[in-house]
Amino acid sequence: MGREKEKEKPSEKALNLLRSRLADPNFIFKPLSDSPDSNYSKLKFIISTSVTEACNNSILLLGPRGSGKVAVLELVLSDLLQQYPDVISVIRLNGLLHSDDNCALKEIARQLCMEHQLLFSKVASFDDNSQFMIAMLRECGLAHKTIIFVLDEFDFFAQGKQRLLYSLLDAMQSVNSQSVVIGVSCRLDVDQLLEKRVRSRFSHRKLLFLSPSKEDTERFMEHILSLPVDSSIPQNYTAEFNGRLKKIISDERFKELITTYLSFNFTIGHLVRFQAVSYMDLDVGFLSLENFKTALSSNQRQSKLECIREYKSIHDSSQTSDNYAANVCLRAFEHLLQRQLISFIDNKGHNQSVEFRPVKLLISSAELHQGLKSSHQCPPVTMLRAARTHLENPSAFWLLTPQHLYSVMH
Amino acid sequence: MPAIADRNSSPFKGMSAAKSCEVVGSNGCYTPQKRRLRSNSAAVNESPVSTPMKLKSPRRRLVSSPSSPANKIKEDLSGKPVKKFWNPRDVEQMRAVKEALHVSTAPSTVVCREDEQKKVLDFCKTCVKQEKAGSLYVCGCPGTGKSLSVEKVKQQVIDWATMEGLQPPEILAMNCTSLANTSGIFSKILSMNKSKKKITGSTSPLQHLQNLYSNKQAQLGSKMLLIIADELDYLITRDRAVLHDLFMLTTFPFSRCILIGIANSIDLADRFLPRLQSLNCKPMVVTFRAYSKDQILSILQERLLVLPCIVFHQQALELCARKVAAASGDMRKALSVCRSAVEILEAELRESASNLSLTSVEGEFISPQTVPALEIYPSQENSTVRIDHMALALSKTFRSPIVDTIQSLPQHQQIILCSAVKYFRGGKKDTTIGELNKSYIDICKSALIPAVGILEFSSMCRVLNDQGLFKLGQSRDDKFKRVTLKVDEADISFALQGIRLFRNCLQ
Repeated sequence: MGREKEKEKPSEKALNLLRSRLADPNFIFKPLSDSPDSNYSKLKFIISTSVTEACNNSILLLGPRGSGKVAVLELVLSDLLQQYPDVISVIRLNGLLHSDDNCALKEIARQLCMEHQLLFSKVASFDDNSQFMIAMLRECGLAHKTIIFVLDEFDFFAQGKQRLLYSLLDAMQSVNSQSVVIGVSCRLDVDQLLEKRVRSRFSHRKLLFLSPSKEDTERFMEHILSLPVDSSIPQNYTAEFNGRLKKIISDERFKELITTYLSFNFTIGHLVRFQAVSYMDLDVGFLSLENFKTALSSNQRQSKLECIREYKSIHDSSQTSDNYAANVCLRAFEHLLQRQLISFIDNKGHNQSVEFRPVKLLISSAELHQGLKSSHQCPPVTMLRAARTHLENPSAFWLLTPQHLYSVMH
Repeated sequence: MPAIADRNSSPFKGMSAAKSCEVVGSNGCYTPQKRRLRSNSAAVNESPVSTPMKLKSPRRRLVSSPSSPANKIKEDLSGKPVKKFWNPRDVEQMRAVKEALHVSTAPSTVVCREDEQKKVLDFCKTCVKQEKAGSLYVCGCPGTGKSLSVEKVKQQVIDWATMEGLQPPEILAMNCTSLANTSGIFSKILSMNKSKKKITGSTSPLQHLQNLYSNKQAQLGSKMLLIIADELDYLITRDRAVLHDLFMLTTFPFSRCILIGIANSIDLADRFLPRLQSLNCKPMVVTFRAYSKDQILSILQERLLVLPCIVFHQQALELCARKVAAASGDMRKALSVCRSAVEILEAELRESASNLSLTSVEGEFISPQTVPALEIYPSQENSTVRIDHMALALSKTFRSPIVDTIQSLPQHQQIILCSAVKYFRGGKKDTTIGELNKSYIDICKSALIPAVGILEFSSMCRVLNDQGLFKLGQSRDDKFKRVTLKVDEADISFALQGIRLFRNCLQ
């Protein structure tokens, strides 16, 4: 038992450490907090000035899903809670759960009670809850405490009559209360959804969370994946791991991989769910470029390739020869049409027979290559193969007719 | 405190007008208006300069009194008290400026609303004097000072009634959004009445009130009730009964309530209370029009009067007033933009704090006797809020984030947007994901970019839907979901014009 524990490979420990890091959103966004121009510092400045100067404020955090809005907000709040321990209390609401006014007020009352160690009654009515909230705001204002309202999925609060938003923002118009309202949303035009009364009371401050630049992304990867020097993992392993990691990151092919990845989605959340770490070969004990490649390709599942494999399995069960009759080809062609691997160029010409209508390929040549690599002969596949040879010439017009295909196959 | 106010009020007021136009170089047309406003405000309120003391709520720190702004006025150059430029690095001054510009700080005088306030006040006075019931409807866009003015009038009515020896009315001021039930307003009115009779369960509060107001004995000697109902349109129900009954309460023979309703829509009285016209008791309507550029400018200057230093460049204030007046005439927005400009200045100073050499910092503290007056101003000029700060603040407030976001989308998502624009140019308004995919693949082929598969494509469409750029319909199969574009085509073309590929595509 003891000997087994000692024998736990450093690579396993490293793997566990990296996995736990990837699951913790706060860790990922920490390097962002260093630069002075980042959203982290802007947000921190706004909230801390509201707290110290005792004035009310409202702000919206906008950005696509996974770009780190809530994570950065949580970082800022945890820092501020450390800085001003007794002055701030945070109320969190979510638009998916609390878009109904009654629900929302109840939740606010409950959280306020919890923060200030009061007893919460479940049977309190809407009126009672709203009176309570107003009274609490006034009390906290007099006691120089700030209440921070975090409204997640803000666009759901903007449905209906927007009573909750109105009462929160209206409370900020009075001198008595001291509160900050932070809305988080992935819709960019969420302030157009607000009623004009509510929009007038909102202070129009917006923080945009956009994609990180390439240098930032590389910095991220390095920050997340390099092992800390002072953990329980042996030093020489750590040094070697980090050294290899640096080499990978500065490798040209890695940069290419990242650029390909970033060209279709860029949110950091997706990037982090890169399972490269899980592909790490435990025997070798270190990350390698191939791990990243496998992860990238597994991310892009191709449904079309699966259907090509399906054909293969059906086909294998029956025996055929290489040459196929015309009607088999035609049937195969119709299969391809149905699966939307190819399609007719235009919808006219229904009276023309199928054999003479031009078609075009709907999947990219990269997908085609990948799919055909892993499958054997069967009529649709052969057809696609024929199509590929026809289309291999990059300057060729991407038009075929079934007749072409038939002739190419024979 | 009164001593300080007296010493500084008269010379300060006259000189600051002259000095500020001398220093900042604004043209003469503003000074007459400034002086006229100040004489107006002087009639209503004796000493605006003393408001730093008044405005300081209990939460001001006690530290501020020795270094309070009012004391600094004593510094003068060439013997005249002058308004100097502020020092944005002074925390206290920064705090005072931000508080003066905050929406929640109610100004001591409400400028530019004198006419409307007079109308409302006269209405209340006649009602109280003749002990007659009446209704008034105040309407206007958000941010035009309705609630603020009615608050002031409320106080003025009580003061006036006490002065005239009449019985001051009781006040019920409420915001209709706080009502759980629209008919709850009647129970609130009833509770103000303090009637001795017990409320039985059979009669609703409304019926009770109606009985009360039809009964002469019950009303003899009781006070008038001034009801101020803010955000009146929350009381609108489908059958419009509540609103109608509320206004009808004022028509009863022995009614004692004076009703002032506040809302945004100008034609609320016409649309929702048609029956009142036949009874010839339609409410009087006072419209608060949106602020014009001059009004916004004068309100901002009035707010900044309480500060002893010049904070804004005159042209910056003008730019702000012009822009906001052209957009909506909403005073809250103007204040928010000014605060934002102050913060931009603050951020700029923080950034250059390390770069700022010691000599320029000391320049602000050189005693007036050793350096001629004019030399100080150039270095202090840098610390006012200039036009470029204001322009940046305005663009941040009024610009939509859509162009920025489109520019920072990953390449394939931009291609999808481009293909949607091209597809919808033919006059169609919506299509399916499958069709859009074909258009997308076409563009990819022409650009020699490898297209992504249908799964990736539909997930990218979903991301664009989340961001509000697309709108996706419902369908079981991804391919048949309907897609509409929610962003203007011009915005997309503008955002993508920097990239040659899209320029060629979209031309």
